[in-house]
Amino acid sequence: MKPVNPIIISLAMLASIMLATPALAADGAQLYKTKTCFTCHGKDGKTPILDTYPKIAGQNPAYSLQQMKDIKSGARANGLSAAMKGVMHLVNDDEMKALAEYIATL
Amino acid sequence: MKFKIFTLLAALAFCGSAAAWLEGGGERDEALDLEPDLENGLDVYEVCSGCHLPEGWGKKDGTFPQLAGQHRSVLIKQLADIREGNRDNPTMYPFALPRAIGEAQSLADVVAYTEKLPMNPDNGKGEWPAGTPEFDMGKKLYEDNCVECHGKDGEGSAEKFYPKIHGQHYAYMLRQFEWVRDGKRRNANPDMVEQIKSFSNKDMQAVINYVSRIPVPKEDLAPSADWTNPDFD
Ligand code: HEC
Ligand code: HEC
Ligand code: HEC
Repeated sequence: MKPVNPIIISLAMLASIMLATPALAADGAQLYKTKTCFTCHGKDGKTPILDTYPKIAGQNPAYSLQQMKDIKSGARANGLSAAMKGVMHLVNDDEMKALAEYIATL
Repeated sequence: MKFKIFTLLAALAFCGSAAAWLEGGGERDEALDLEPDLENGLDVYEVCSGCHLPEGWGKKDGTFPQLAGQHRSVLIKQLADIREGNRDNPTMYPFALPRAIGEAQSLADVVAYTEKLPMNPDNGKGEWPAGTPEFDMGKKLYEDNCVECHGKDGEGSAEKFYPKIHGQHYAYMLRQFEWVRDGKRRNANPDMVEQIKSFSNKDMQAVINYVSRIPVPKEDLAPSADWTNPDFD
C-alpha cells in the first residue's frame, strides 16, 4: 500500500476546519440561550427585560464583541453594566465572537 | 388546590423581636396568601430558567443558587429583599421587578412552581468529607449555632421564613453566609447575624462544608443527576 500523501491529509483537515466555520452562527444561537443572554436582552435581541437595557439585534459584530469584552473586563462599568458583568465569566473569547456574529443576524 | 398556609399575623408572632426583619411589602404578604397557579408559574419561570436552569438546580460554582425545593415563603421574602436593594446582586435584580415576574399572583405562582421541583442530587460540596477534622468541626458548629433555626437536617422552616439549606451549593452558601456575617446582606435575620458574628473564615468554611454534605431526604431529590425537567421538552 502506498503511504497516504501528507498534502491530502492536510487538505482534508483544512476542509473539516472550513466546514466547521459556518457552525459559528448556529453555535451563537445556542450560546445566546444557554449563557443567559436572552434573559436580559430578549430572545430576539430587541425586547430587553427593562426599558433601560439596550436592544442589541443587528449590531455590527466588531462593535458588539468589543462591548462584551469591555463589560467583562470592567473597562465599561457604568451603573447598568454590573448586571451583565455577573454572567460574563460564563463565556470565553471564542464564544463572545460567535455571539457577536449571531447578534448581528438578529 | 388550597394552599393558604399562614397569615402574616402568625408569622410576625413567631418572629417576635425580629419583626422589623419581616416588615414591609404588602405585596409579599399578599403573595403568601394567594392560591398559586402552577401553569402560570411555569410560564413565569421560563426566563428564570436561563440562569437557574430548567431544573431549578443552579450552578455548582455558586453563581446561581438552587431554587428547587426551597420554601415558597423564603423565596417570596428574598425576592422582596432583592427588589428593595437589600442584597447586592445586580444580575438578579431586574428579575425581581414586577416587569419580569408580574404582580403578587405571578410571584405566588413562580415560587410555588420552583418549590415543587425535585432537588439536585449532586449539589456543590465543600472539600472535607466525613471523617476529616474539618467535617467534625463543622458539624459541632452547626449543632451549636444553627439547628435552632435551620433545623437538625438543614430543612429550615416555611412558617418562620428560615431557608432550607441542605442540598444548596457550597460556593453560593459560603458567599451568602459571609455577606450575612459582614452585613452586606442588609435585611438578614438579626438573630442569625448575632449568632455568627464571631465566626472566623475557617469556622465559616467548616460549617458550610458540613451543611453542603447533609443528606437531602430521598423523596425531595430527582431520581438522578441526569434528570431533566419535562416541562421544558
Ligand atoms: C443581567 C442582565 C444581562 C445579561 C444576562 C446579559 N446582558 Fe448584555 N447588557 C446588559 C445591560 C444592562 C447592558 C448595557 C450596559 C451599559 O449600560 O453599559 C448590556 C449590554 C450589552 C451589549 C452592548 C450593547 C451596546 O449597544 O453597547 C452587548 C453586545 C450585550 N450586552 C450582549 C450580551 C450577551 C451576548 C450576553 C450573554 C452572554 C448578555 N449580553 C447578557 C444586561 C445583560
Ligand atoms: C441573569 C441571571 C438570572 C436570572 C434570569 C434570574 N436570576 Fe435569580 N439569581 C441570580 C443570581 C446571580 C442570584 C444570586 C444572587 C446573590 O448571590 O445574592 C439569584 C438569586 C435568586 C434568589 C435568591 C435565592 C436564595 O436562596 O436566597 C431567588 C429567589 C431568585 N434568584 C429567583 C429568581 C426568579 C423567580 C427568576 C425569574 C423571574 C430569576 N431568579 C431569574 C441570577 C438570575
Ligand atoms: C436566628 C435564626 C438563624 C440562625 C441561628 C442561623 N440562621 Fe441562617 N438564616 C436565617 C434566616 C432567616 C435566613 C434568610 C436570610 C434573611 O433573613 O433574609 C438565613 C440564611 C442563611 C443562609 C443563606 C441561604 C440562602 O439560600 O440564601 C445560609 C447559608 C445560612 N443561613 C446558614 C446558617 C448557618 C450555617 C448557621 C449557623 C452557623 C445559621 N445560618 C444560623 C436564620 C438563622
